[in-house]
Amino acid sequence: MPITQDLSILSLIAEASLLVKLVMALLAVVSFMSWYWIFRKWFSIGRARRKSLAFERSFWSGGDLNQLFESASHDRHNTGPMERIFESGYREFTKLRAKNADHGTIVNGARRAMRATYQREVDELEAHLAFLASVGSVSPYVGLFGTVWGIMNAFRGLSNVSSATLAHVAPGIAEALVATAIGLFAAIPAVVAYNRFAHDIDRLSIRLESFMEEFSNILHRQLR
Amino acid sequence: MNAAQQRRDPAQWASVALALLVHLALAAFLFFGVRWQSEPPAAVQVSLVSQPAITPAPPPKPAAPKPAPAPEPKPAPKLEPKPEPKPAPPPPPKAPDIKVPEKKPEPKPEPKPVPKPAPKPAPKPEPKPQKKPAPTPPDRAKAIESSRMDELLAMDAQRAREAALLRQEANAAARNRTMAAYKAKIQGKVKANIVLPLSASGNPEAVFEVTQATGGVVLNVRLVKSTGDPALDDAIKRAIQKSDPLPEPDDPALFNRILILTFRPLEP
Repeated sequence: MPITQDLSILSLIAEASLLVKLVMALLAVVSFMSWYWIFRKWFSIGRARRKSLAFERSFWSGGDLNQLFESASHDRHNTGPMERIFESGYREFTKLRAKNADHGTIVNGARRAMRATYQREVDELEAHLAFLASVGSVSPYVGLFGTVWGIMNAFRGLSNVSSATLAHVAPGIAEALVATAIGLFAAIPAVVAYNRFAHDIDRLSIRLESFMEEFSNILHRQLR
Repeated sequence: MNAAQQRRDPAQWASVALALLVHLALAAFLFFGVRWQSEPPAAVQVSLVSQPAITPAPPPKPAAPKPAPAPEPKPAPKLEPKPEPKPAPPPPPKAPDIKVPEKKPEPKPEPKPVPKPAPKPAPKPEPKPQKKPAPTPPDRAKAIESSRMDELLAMDAQRAREAALLRQEANAAARNRTMAAYKAKIQGKVKANIVLPLSASGNPEAVFEVTQATGGVVLNVRLVKSTGDPALDDAIKRAIQKSDPLPEPDDPALFNRILILTFRPLEP
């Protein structure tokens, strides 16, 4: 009479029905991709913030603008977003000044160039965050779908047994619940990471915007 | 943009490695974590079943002190002599007389062989080691040492009885086990149907006599020993009736019209 079900995770996965297995495989792939993007975003955002802070420090320590521009345009592979904004703005500024445009046009042109670079940078930082957001919101539902399907099967199997006990349904339900567990495992880190990254990018973009304003003031002063 | 993508290449592989690491760690945790949880209950169930088999086993061992080194080989040779002791059912009535002393006066057969070599050294030693009833009939025909013959026969019968006893015990143990499983099945089904009254407390035990027809149809339920709580007794009785049809035994031979069942509804 003792029903000795082996409830190890491998047997739970192996005995699930085909659709539940597909759901689990999909969720495993999604979870892997979301973790991949979590780590990549973590590295790239952290790097962008570090570089921007370092550039800000050297910028406000009163270095020569031409020298800063030289080093920024020389080592383009190793610069942060703030440095690239500075580079594009200063490049536009020098070009327009060489053409003897009036002051308003020069500052506005430099500002437009900086804004374009700023938008590109922020877009790059935000890339694939939408993926994390959708993983966070959708994968619990996908897992739930697998679970519901598995439980439906478990109860259908129960109808063939005359004396229904919990032991007949429990393994099927346990199998099905694995799908929800995988879905949650994919979703929770994705949501946490999404919120964290969105916050970090917000702060960084505010910092970049204020730098743009301050830098255009400096350019304006230079023209006098 | 190209510059930006090139810049991120090292982080890309690090991310792949870290994501793999996270998933491997989770898989390992799930694999070992879930495994630990599932094994202890299985071990408990095994020990419960084996218990009844062990308790009847010890008695035969002290009963057969002679073949101490080989209790198992005995049943095998006995299978052949079994038909032979049957032609000599007369000894069984005598056997009780011999059997009772035989347990203690073990030395009895031993002193006899000593006088044996004196009168007839050659023929006797041969049948002795074999102890087969086959050579015994001619011996009886000789009718010289009828008392020794009887003893030999008695020893054979005794051994056959012991073997039969062993087999019976083994069968009984197996039957007990299936019977226990059968009863456990019924008790499990009834227990699932019990609606506990609010007054129930402690771990009371009730004994019911259930009369069933073929197919497990419940005919009659009679209270043999009450839990002390009439409401609980009623609840169990209702549960038994609700469990109609009762589960059937794995071995149809075990089906019994009248079952004595013990219930501990509050047992966790």
